[in-house]
Amino acid sequence: MSKTVFIKDTGTAGKDRTRDFYGFFLGVIREKGLENEVIPVRVADIGLYNQGVVVRVVPDNFVYAQVEESDVSLIVDSIKTGKPYSAKLVKPVSKQLRIVLRNCGVVDPESLEDYIAHDGFAALAKVLESYTPEKVIQEMKASGLRGRGGAGFPTGMKWEFTRKSQSDQKYIVCNGDEGDPGAYMDRGVLEGDPYSVIEGMIIGGYAIGASKGLFYIRAEYPVAIERIEKAIKRCHETGLLGNNILGSSFSFDLEIRLGAGAFVCGEETALIASIEGKRGYPSPRPPFPSVKGLWGRPTCINNVETLANVPVILHKGADWFSKIGTETAKGTKVFAVTGKVRNSGLVEVPMGTTVEDIVYGICGGAMRGKQVKAIQTGGPSGGVIPKEYFGTKVDYESLQKMGSIMGSGGMIVMDEDDCMVDIAKFYLGFCVDESCGKCAPCRIGGTQMLKLLTKVTDGRGTQEDLARLEQISHAMQKASLCGLGQTAPNPVLSTLHYYRAEYDAHVNERKCPACKCANLLQFVIVQDKCVKCGMCFKACPVGAISGSRESGYLIDQTKCIRCGQCFEVCKPKAISRS
Amino acid sequence: MAKLTREDLAKIKQDAVEAEKNWIKVGYSSCGIAAGAQEIFNVLREEARKHNADIEIKKCGCVGMCSAEPIVEVCVKGLPRVHYGKVDRETAVKIIEDHVCGKLLVNDHVMGIQG
Repeated sequence: MSKTVFIKDTGTAGKDRTRDFYGFFLGVIREKGLENEVIPVRVADIGLYNQGVVVRVVPDNFVYAQVEESDVSLIVDSIKTGKPYSAKLVKPVSKQLRIVLRNCGVVDPESLEDYIAHDGFAALAKVLESYTPEKVIQEMKASGLRGRGGAGFPTGMKWEFTRKSQSDQKYIVCNGDEGDPGAYMDRGVLEGDPYSVIEGMIIGGYAIGASKGLFYIRAEYPVAIERIEKAIKRCHETGLLGNNILGSSFSFDLEIRLGAGAFVCGEETALIASIEGKRGYPSPRPPFPSVKGLWGRPTCINNVETLANVPVILHKGADWFSKIGTETAKGTKVFAVTGKVRNSGLVEVPMGTTVEDIVYGICGGAMRGKQVKAIQTGGPSGGVIPKEYFGTKVDYESLQKMGSIMGSGGMIVMDEDDCMVDIAKFYLGFCVDESCGKCAPCRIGGTQMLKLLTKVTDGRGTQEDLARLEQISHAMQKASLCGLGQTAPNPVLSTLHYYRAEYDAHVNERKCPACKCANLLQFVIVQDKCVKCGMCFKACPVGAISGSRESGYLIDQTKCIRCGQCFEVCKPKAISRS
Repeated sequence: MAKLTREDLAKIKQDAVEAEKNWIKVGYSSCGIAAGAQEIFNVLREEARKHNADIEIKKCGCVGMCSAEPIVEVCVKGLPRVHYGKVDRETAVKIIEDHVCGKLLVNDHVMGIQG
């Protein structure tokens, strides 16, 4: 059988040498007469970054980094013998571990048979055959699984509380109201592996003693809804839902409720109100939903990712699961890495992996020669982590110590062009839009803070404004009714803590160091550098640039909206931004 | 369909293992669909029919590399199993002609190597 050599230049400096090395390999292979035994392939992404030319040999699975022209002949020789060429050999460790996403991209989400072929419903069969509900709860507690929606409450304990509540009817609810900007882990799971969430819910229902479950999914996820609907229908047809599941005495049913997209409805008490057909207002706890929830009955609300963990834990055992992760956080976490990063997408890593490994190791760092500045985790309830602290491990406690939170798993990468005041304003603006308006600290505090931040980004801010921002933040944290208001000031406090200098520059010098805040910017054409190509003239969306290829160009400051498009397209860098 | 029993689960799994043949999977979640997975899926099917290729073309969820969609995973016996990213019409045709029929991997689009 022939062997394949995958080739990719992962260096960032200068020209991409992938094609050159492909040529070298082809030449050497021909010279040695190995055309039928060794086949080179140029690759778009080989999973390593900034390591020069990387070569991977399959099926031997040897990986070589920093390969130079002189190594090619020796590598080809080593392929023939089947022994590694040790001088450039590297052992890349896979940083990802897929538990929740085990079937995403593997099974056909619309095929029950495919899911079963990948160990689907094996856990359910085992549970219904030989586990009492108490045993299931015990396993879940032993596994150390904590809620993946953000707060990190131990799932086993939540199930136990609901089990112990006495009632004629109990409910289990899957919270698929994923609302954080840039986060789509739950969508990925619901669309890619709907049956695993359903299996998790059936097991959960069995454990807490519920005969009915509800999916609460936001209406903005049409593909997810369609697949869950189809999956539920198939489960009904095959007796995986309904009466006497898999020949046992257990009966369970599932329904879908659609959320209209209000962020606050991800909060469990507001979610319950929404399902009941009321306005999505949160209510004070206690009583907790596990005692008095949906229609006044004990209700257990779990996140999509939490539920997708359940079948694996019961299939492979709590022991296996509790060996993954850190002391306080077991298992893995899915992150949606987005923003100014080379490979954006869903990443699943064991708890305790460093931010550095995620941003650089898996996602390949910043785009187009820019520098990563910070990441933002936890959405509008979280905070930023500057690059200097990328050694931080991702788990509930470490992130909290950094002034951020784990949240549901959004991770937005920001580079040098992002202004931290602007970021804080964006997240706060999101919370102001989404505030339900029931309690004053959130409704009034949020609006006032947004006004102050707008003042700062417009260049009208003062030091007193910054002090007031902090003051209102603390009041909101203490006095708001639900999690939305209590955590809304977090992005502001966190950026104030780490990037005070940027706030000061806006206030004292009326400057935006990242050149982002439009009202503090001015674009001017430097006539000495201008080559009169007319690119800026064409790019300007508001016609603020006038002139011709003969006379040169000028920007009319009264018309300019400071979008920066002329700056981006100017090849000789003749447009100054200050 | 009749109600499933525990024995049925085991049998379905066993059958699937035995029926395993060459396949192509197209990422068909929101990210893939938005990037044009539907067209790629149709092109792959059409080309496979044209070349009379013995290959099963299936849909799957998002594998995680959303920025590289549309993603197509190809498993042909005797060749490494790979993910192709940013697959356009032209690449989809090449995947059938070169990879599936010619047993030669397509250059410049491999994004993930499963070994």
